Amino acid sequence: MSVMGIIFANDVAIGELTSKRTMASLPFGGRYRQVDFHLANLTAGGIRHLGIISRYNYQSLMNHVGSGEEWGLELGEGGLEYLTPYAMSSNANYRGKLENLHSALDFLQYGDDDYIVMSDSAILTNLDIPDVVAKHIASGKDVTVVTKAGVANGVKKLDLALKLGENGEVADIVVDYVAPSDYVASIDTFVVGRKWLVEQVKEYVAHNLYHLDRDLILGGWQNGTVSINTYAYEGVALFNESTAEYFANSMALLDKDTAYGIFRGHHDIYTKVRDRVPTYYGENCEVENSLVADGGMIDGKVEDSILFRQVTIGEDAEVEKCIIMNDTVVGEGAELKYVILDKNVTVRPGVKLCGDKEHPIIVKRGETV
Amino acid sequence: MYFQKKRAIAMLLAGGQGSRLKVLTEKTAKPAVPFGGKYRIIDFPLSNCVNSGIDTVGILTQYQPLELNEYIGNGQPWGLNKTHSCAQVLPPYERHDKKSGWYKGTANAIYQNIDFIERFDPDYVVILSGDHIYKMDYDAMIKYHEEHNASCTIAVRTVPLAEASRFGILNTNPDNSIYEFEEKPKVPKSTNASMGIYVFNWKVLHDALVADEEDPNSSNDFGKNIIPNLLNAGHKMMAYNFDGYWKDVGTIDSLWEANMELLGKDPEFQIRGKNKIYARNNAHPSSYIDTTAKISNSFVAEGCEIRGTVKHSIISVGCVIGKGAIVEDSVVMPGVVIEPGAIVRHAILGENSKVLSNAVVGGAFGPDDKKKISVTAKNAVVETVLLPGEMQS
Repeated sequence: MSVMGIIFANDVAIGELTSKRTMASLPFGGRYRQVDFHLANLTAGGIRHLGIISRYNYQSLMNHVGSGEEWGLELGEGGLEYLTPYAMSSNANYRGKLENLHSALDFLQYGDDDYIVMSDSAILTNLDIPDVVAKHIASGKDVTVVTKAGVANGVKKLDLALKLGENGEVADIVVDYVAPSDYVASIDTFVVGRKWLVEQVKEYVAHNLYHLDRDLILGGWQNGTVSINTYAYEGVALFNESTAEYFANSMALLDKDTAYGIFRGHHDIYTKVRDRVPTYYGENCEVENSLVADGGMIDGKVEDSILFRQVTIGEDAEVEKCIIMNDTVVGEGAELKYVILDKNVTVRPGVKLCGDKEHPIIVKRGETV
Repeated sequence: MYFQKKRAIAMLLAGGQGSRLKVLTEKTAKPAVPFGGKYRIIDFPLSNCVNSGIDTVGILTQYQPLELNEYIGNGQPWGLNKTHSCAQVLPPYERHDKKSGWYKGTANAIYQNIDFIERFDPDYVVILSGDHIYKMDYDAMIKYHEEHNASCTIAVRTVPLAEASRFGILNTNPDNSIYEFEEKPKVPKSTNASMGIYVFNWKVLHDALVADEEDPNSSNDFGKNIIPNLLNAGHKMMAYNFDGYWKDVGTIDSLWEANMELLGKDPEFQIRGKNKIYARNNAHPSSYIDTTAKISNSFVAEGCEIRGTVKHSIISVGCVIGKGAIVEDSVVMPGVVIEPGAIVRHAILGENSKVLSNAVVGGAFGPDDKKKISVTAKNAVVETVLLPGEMQS
């Protein structure tokens, strides 16, 4: 029994932060990119054959993942493959994941893997994939949808949510819907048989059906051609589907249990090695309740914040409830609250910026304020 | 791998026990001793090689090699795992002619690996040791060696006259050529101390090693035998001056000092910036600094949880410092746990060692300013107290 993986790099976009990068390469948690969590799930589960489907803006993703060496992968057929529009056979104008998969049929048909695990990079988990696959096989169903309870709340719109009956059987499926709290949310991770998926992709796309959640899962279930199993994921799941969620989930990492669950729950998370020195905390710095990566130089005050690698905080600067990405410099005496500084930003000395929880101020990559 | 002719390869002597590091090297070879929060001592010569364009490094191991072998692995962290590069661990082995066995000395270690060196047909062999902290461009030294048409070039630095008798001292002519080498002289004639970094023409070194092996009275050592013999034979030997930061970390005091010299706004040793030092990285998340933490003038590596006070210290990867704990003027190696309320001063805490709640390690230095560093071994546990200058196994 062998398993291959597929990661969808940019099915979701959250505005400014993903305007020049895929969702998969969005920095998260101080030293990671979204894709790291997906690569960790798949590779910790022993998967070495995997494809990353990306439609645009994939340069930063490829820079980050590279040959996949850090995750024990090898680039090339049967190993890690980038399924970019150029690498795929036809149809650069994708409307949905089934069309994406159709364009990647060569990849799906290569090798002799029995099962495929598909995941979308917007939702982060620390998932025991072999257990999901084992339960999928035992269920005898066509598709296993990994679900998370407690996400559906009658407020958040979900891509895919399911209502389960008393014996765990699927009682209802909804797509793009503000589901009430008795539904479980899909974490956009699915297990299917490889040959089965190839057949479905050919059939559905031939009939102008291209949406994975709506056409294959919901439609197939409704007309009785697709049988659905669910797997209840108990660990931490972070839905980064909007800037506000991204901000809130980043702040949630300051909670010990959330941080442990996502970083260490089932397995460790690897990322690209940068060989930065340890962070230097200056004589007069004050750092409280913050997550700090390596390579930094901190002389000012930092509270309730996430500092990525190689961040400089000048003397007397005050940073509160901020996300500060790689190589960014906050000048002396600057005051920032509810601000997301993208990579390589320069904040001039004395500058004051203040956003709010729902609408943090975003300073774009490379800008000077 | 495919063996391509190399202009220069490096041989790194990493087999020494480092007995002066006491409990820190009971189960670890000196080059594998952690340094600077996320490095090990061997990262410095290895990174220097890579930064100098030397892509083939033989690493001679003997004492407690397990951890070191594991650490070096296939050389990937230093980029030494490509088609034309390698980091090859060379432990002693048995040969048909019985000219093998434990490495008898530094020269014998190289002698026993002549076959390894010859596979690359190098013009030059750089001999390095695994117990110094520094950044150096070996390629500049090789160029100097070439320009002066020398058989051997030795890196030297000026040391205070009072300390000169602890080193191998090179006496030089005005053109920097060496006319005399004295190992730890009682009355030093100069202050040019050998740094234990040699560039040899391989042919010259090869013949010197073979001759040395045939001499039953030799102690098979570079400083004691090979260098004096080559001088006596009339070979041209040059001194190469190096005035950058360089520290022998062979003792508890010097290891502690070298770590402390990383700290400050303008540190004595610039580990940051140009000529990056590479290390094997583990999958540690960022460090969490709690509301109760107070950190100043310190290095904190990744994967830590800091809830106590940290002053003028090096906190390595994966350490936990509990609420109310105080860590001052100390080197805390990877994976150490300091429980709430514990106090650690002037100490080196070995990997994965533990200081239990409210225990006290070390203290202030005495009025005579004599350093008394307390040290814990790997996995040691301090339950109540470890006095200044004491060791905990």
